Formats: sequence, structure tokens, C-alpha cells
Amino acid sequence: MFDPKLKEALAHVQKPGRYTGGEPGCVVKDKSKVDLRFAFCFPDTYEVGMSFLGMKILYELLNERPNWWCERAFMPWLDMKEQMERLEMPLYALESKDKLTDFDVVGFTLQYELSYTTILAMLDMAGIPLRAADRDDSWPLIVAGGPCVCNAEPLADFFDMMMLGEGEIQLPLVCEEIERAKKEGTPKKELLRRIAAIDGCYVPAFYDVEYEEDGRVRAITPNDPSAPAVITKAIIQDMNTQKLPTNFVVPMIGAVHDRAQIEVLRGCVRGCRFCQAGFLYRPMRQRDASLLDKAAQDLCANTGYEEISLTSLSTSDHSQLEELLDDMNEWAPREHVSLSLPSLRIDNFSESLIAKTNKVRKSGLTFAPEAGTQRLRDVINKNVTWDEIERSCTMAFKAGYTSVKLYFMMGLPTETMEDIEGIANTAQKVVDLFYSNPDKPKGKSVQVTISVACFVPKPHTPFQFVPQDTEESLKAKQQHLLHSVHSKKIHVNYHDSSTSFLEAVFAKGDRRLSRVLEAAYRKGCYLDSWEECFHYDTWLETFKEQGLSTEFYANRTIGLDEITPWSHLDYGVSHEFLVREYKKAQMAKTTEPCNRKCSACGANKLLGGACFDYDQNLVH
Amino acid sequence: MTTIRIWFTKQDEASYISLLDLQRVMQRSLKRSGLPVWHTLGFNPHIYMTFACPLPLGQESLVESVDVKTEEENPDLEAWKAALSGAMPRGVEIVRVVKPDHKADAIAYACYTVSLPEEFKSGIDRYNAQESAIALKKSKRGKKEIELKEFLPTIPYEVENGLVKFQVQLPAGGDGLNLNPSLWLDYLNEHFGVDATRASVLRTRLLQKNLTDFS
Repeated sequence: MFDPKLKEALAHVQKPGRYTGGEPGCVVKDKSKVDLRFAFCFPDTYEVGMSFLGMKILYELLNERPNWWCERAFMPWLDMKEQMERLEMPLYALESKDKLTDFDVVGFTLQYELSYTTILAMLDMAGIPLRAADRDDSWPLIVAGGPCVCNAEPLADFFDMMMLGEGEIQLPLVCEEIERAKKEGTPKKELLRRIAAIDGCYVPAFYDVEYEEDGRVRAITPNDPSAPAVITKAIIQDMNTQKLPTNFVVPMIGAVHDRAQIEVLRGCVRGCRFCQAGFLYRPMRQRDASLLDKAAQDLCANTGYEEISLTSLSTSDHSQLEELLDDMNEWAPREHVSLSLPSLRIDNFSESLIAKTNKVRKSGLTFAPEAGTQRLRDVINKNVTWDEIERSCTMAFKAGYTSVKLYFMMGLPTETMEDIEGIANTAQKVVDLFYSNPDKPKGKSVQVTISVACFVPKPHTPFQFVPQDTEESLKAKQQHLLHSVHSKKIHVNYHDSSTSFLEAVFAKGDRRLSRVLEAAYRKGCYLDSWEECFHYDTWLETFKEQGLSTEFYANRTIGLDEITPWSHLDYGVSHEFLVREYKKAQMAKTTEPCNRKCSACGANKLLGGACFDYDQNLVH
Repeated sequence: MTTIRIWFTKQDEASYISLLDLQRVMQRSLKRSGLPVWHTLGFNPHIYMTFACPLPLGQESLVESVDVKTEEENPDLEAWKAALSGAMPRGVEIVRVVKPDHKADAIAYACYTVSLPEEFKSGIDRYNAQESAIALKKSKRGKKEIELKEFLPTIPYEVENGLVKFQVQLPAGGDGLNLNPSLWLDYLNEHFGVDATRASVLRTRLLQKNLTDFS
């Protein structure tokens, strides 16, 4: 029987299907027969969270154990939050509809900085004290994983433990310790000591941070004998040993990405200097085509999805991609499944690749040159040339495509107004290419969309040292771009610089920012990545009240020998390498992809040997 | 080509699947079942499906149906039922799989059981005591005044376990007038403060013009 209170709340809200669970593929167990209950929390709405592959991987992995039960929780939208507060309903997990405090572990995934306050909102809605220091042994263990853990110091005071690296490896080990501790009645502190010994497990309370008078970090020192001085991320050494998820929970109200996904490879060989993921997930490891094909077929059969995408940071770098597409094209059309490749690169985009993803459905093409001039593309090590853009677009137009989306950034290091004009020029040249094609589709015109994001310098990248461009400068550049575009075939989208600014502050933030997060949340800031929920003035006011400067975090050059708030967190890539890459960037010198030539970033130590067999040519 | 009618319930969690979403959910469920359902031809093939009589979001039903087609001449309907049963979301149960007796447009009436917390009983009494009750029905074609008393002169109810329960039979079906108990609940809400968001509505039967079951 459905809870009457929930029914009443649902009668008042938009999209009640966000809050009901019960989707095909969702796992329901008998709670009296499980030894460990894990609430996997995504600090954003259902539709956003249900698009996230990582949750599907870990959900299946944990639920494979008969005596563990992993459930899901998302942030309710404003209308539901209001109803839950009115009816005094605590935040619950979708499968059992039990409140989060009934769980042994509450785990959050940290995907982007602007979700930090939403984590506080979810803890608060569950009735869980925000700060780890205020939670005794009776509360669930509050843990975090995901890319932002690489510097989630602003959240350090709220979490009992954070996990660096790949959850497939460490999460089962962590849960085994928790299960054991629960059986043996081990106190939380002792449990955390045991967990601190697992690869990539970081217990923030076991470290003291001292600051210089000017606010920089003086030292980060372990205060517990179990805590290593440096925490090194966990890694899957061979992706072929790690089973792909083949039983997604299939959302019923639609999700942002509502399709089957198979992860063809992890990491990226390219070394674009702005890209945090490119450094966090090193080295690149791929899965065999035969495994991928089998998993894709199983996944489509189990979910009923009509579309499957081959996901990764750079899918066209898979050395067996064409072979894989051929295999999949054996069964996909028969099963009415269409194939899509979300992250194609301009430089190795081929005619046969277009044809192979085209068999079922044709959509627009997306490329990411990231910068408007060759000089600046060399600075950021996005090794793409105009010739390659030209070749790819010509091919695409010949194949019948009429819309092209180009992604750029502004505010990149060393950028000038000339580089901004280069963005408009690139788009104009793509428009001209379309009209110079003698085989262009009759009666159709071209649509080129340029999407420009504001660059945010991120930890663990060669650009961690650089200040973010100021808001005034970014706004001037946006205006200049608009004035530089002269064609109606070109549509310009750009992002709000204030959210990027806040993102930069928290990306490079330290533990002192926990005060700001808590105070801003208390003033009503959460779901900050949603325009209607983003209260910039409240944020600025809160920083002022807490006596902390946003410019200190976002707009300051970090010294090459400075101790950063994340210097105890090791993702395999050495500090020396980041400095080397930073200096090369200043000289507009590029670095080769790591499957072509090793640049000695240091991440190979995680695999215990060379990342690639350089005798074989993996690059195509 | 054989047409197959799948009868299913739509309760609890599943009552919050809108018609638009239900089409996608059913499409994927049919795909998961692996059954040889017929796909439309053309650029973007999809499974051919017709839902008999869509239900408003949040209401429950024991008598939902969807028609699909198959190229099998003599489909094993019990095997179909078994295959479908394993592929549905929570709250959807496959009741039976049949070759249809009637066309979908034969539906003329639907029966509902409505329950409300007992505290709203007086609202119903006041409705019953009134001569007239005019409600405004909104549809795609505009607003229309409806005399509720014409269809339901009084609401005969029972009180059971703290709930007021009543059963109604209302005109339904695609072509003619289609009235849902929500029209009465909204009226009771507006005039007598009955909190419609605390009502449960369960569709129990679909009838033809001659009052025999649609099947």
C-alpha cells in the first residue's frame, strides 16, 4: 500500500514520477535479510541523476551482493521539498521509501562544484546533522566519491570519508569493512581507521590544515597514525576484468540522457591542458571490442532502450572502434536500436564512422575546437587544426548533415581579443564551407551553433596555477564575440559568468569554505546550477559575512611551489609534470597524445609499467 | 496481422506514469519481453500501440488496455502473458492477453471507486442536498458548463475504516463526452472545502453502450 502522506504530497507537485521509484530494473530486496543498506545520493534532480552512468555501474555492482542493498535518492524539486516539509516527511530512498537515516551508508557523488549546497540540503531534509563532528556513532556513515573529490576540501568538514579514484575497486572493500564493523559493534573512529588503509580512501578528520597569514595553505599533516601522508587514487588496472553494467534502472519520466550507454574506455590520451577529467582518469585504458559488443546487446535486451551510445572522454580514440561498430551493426538495426557517438574528435573523424553511426538515425554533429585560433589551441594542447575541421565538416555536409555545433571556451590563459574574433571566424568559415559544397542538399540551409563556456581553472591540471579571467573581462569578450558574428546562420550561446566564477572558487577552495557553504545553504542556496535557484547576490554577501575573499580563490595566480589545498591528494599525475605542461603552454608548445609518445606524467606508476605497447600503432 | 489486447493494472507507483510516458514505458517493456510485436514502417520505426482510454495522472486502474499487432498468426497468448509479466514496472500487472472482441471506440462508460478521508463526508452530504451543481469542464476545445446532477443526482457512499467510499459510472470513450470523477472532486473542493488531493480514484470497469463489459 502506498503511503497516504506521499500520495498527498504527489498530488501537489509537477512530475510526480520523479519521486515514486518502481522503474523497470530497480532493485527491491527484503530489508530483514540484508546486512548493509547503502543510499546512493545524487545531489541534483532525478532527471539529471538518472543520466549518470557511474550510478548505474555502482548500483549494479553493490546489488549483486545478495546481502547488500543499494538504493537511490535525488534532490526533490522546490515544489516537492515544500510538500515534504509541510507534511514532515524526511528525505527517503526511492526503492524502499525508507528515510535516509535507516541506512548504514549515505553516499554522495560529487560531479560538479555547484552541487555542494544541494548535498547539505539533502542531509538536512533527511534530518542528518551536517557536520561530521556533530554526528555520533548512531548516524549513517556519510561518504563521497566522484571527480570533485580531487579537491572537495570545501566539503571536508561534512563528510566522514571520501573516495579518490574508481569506485568499482574501493567501494566494495569499504562496504565489507562497514558490514564487519556493524556485526562486531566497532566504533566509527576505529572503522574509519580501517577504511583509511584502503586505496584512495580519505578521512578528512585525520588531517590538520594550517594556513599562512595571507590565507595560503602552510601545511597539511595527518593527525592519526592510520592516515597516509598522501592519498593515492584507486584504479582498475585492466578494464577487461571489470564487468559492464547490463541492467540499468530505466527511468519512466525521461532523463536528460535517456539511453543505453556503454563505456568503451576510461581516461584520455589527449592531454588537453584545461580538462580535469583528462588528468584525473589517467592512464587511458580501453575495453575489448568483443566484450563491449556483448554487453551492449545484453544491455539493450534488458532495458528495451532504442538508442545506445558509446561513451567515454574520447570514444574515437578506441583502437577497435570501427570493428566494434561493425559488430554492433550486425544486430542493432534488427533490434531497432540506433547507435550514437557523443564525443567525436575532429582529427580522427572518418567517412566510414559517419556511415556506421548513420544506419538508423541521423542527428546533428558536434565538434569541440575549444579555441578560435591555432595559437590558442596550441596553448591549451587541443591538437586540432583548421584543416581537420574543414575536412570533417566537408565530409559531414556531403553525408547530408546540415547542422553543426561548435564548442569553445573563453577566458583561456594568454587569450586576446584576436582569439575571440577567431571563434566567429571559425564559425563563418564552416558556413562558407557548406555553401561551397556542390553536393549540398537542395533547398536546405546550414545552422552553425557556437556554444561558449567560461574557462574554469581546475585542480590537478596544468592550468591549476592560473587565475580565472575576471567577470568584467569575460563579459567584454562575450560582447566582442557577438559583434564579430555577421551571419544569421550562426547562433551564439554563452554561459553565465557568475556561475563559472563560483565554480572556480569552490574548485580551488579550501576547508574554510565550509562556513560559506553552510551559511549560504541556510539562506536558501541549493540547486545552484538551476538558473531559477541561483542567488548570486546571496553568495557574495555570504562570502563577505564570513570574511573570505572570492578573488583569493578564483583570480589569484598560484605559485608553482605553493602548497595547494589538494596537495595531499594524488591522482597519479606528478606535480613536476603539471609544471612542465604549464610552462609549455606559456610558449604555445604542444604535447603529443600519450599513446603516441609518453610524456612521463607519472600516472603509469598506478599500472606498474608502461601504459601502452608503443610498438603497435594505436593511433589512427 | 493479428491484433492483441493486453489488459493490465496501473496502481501505486505506476499511477504516476502519464500517458505520454506510458507510451515510452510500454514500448520499452514490449522490447524487453522479446515478443515479436509489429513495428511501424518508415524512417523511425516504433512499436505500433493503441491505448484504449487514458487515465489522468495519479488515478489507479484495474482495467487498462493497450492494443499491439503481431505477424504471428496464432500467438500463444499465455506465453505472451508470461513474457510481459516479467518486463513491467512496479504497479503494472498483466491481467490477461486476448484477441479483442470489440473495437477501442466501443467504450461508452467507465466505473470508478472513489475514497476520501471521513472528515470530508459533510461535503458530500451538502452536494446531495443541492438542487443543482454546475461545474466547468475544460478541454482542448474550450470550457463547457456541465450539470453534475444530471449524471450523478446524489453520491451514495459508505463509511469504512475512516474512509468515505463511493462508486460511480460515468460516460467515457474518445468520441463523445468523457467525464472523470476529478470533475466532482474539484467541485467538492471548490464549494465545500473537500481536499481533492487526498482522494483516491480507482477505475474498475469499462463498459459498452449496452452496459456489457468492453473486452
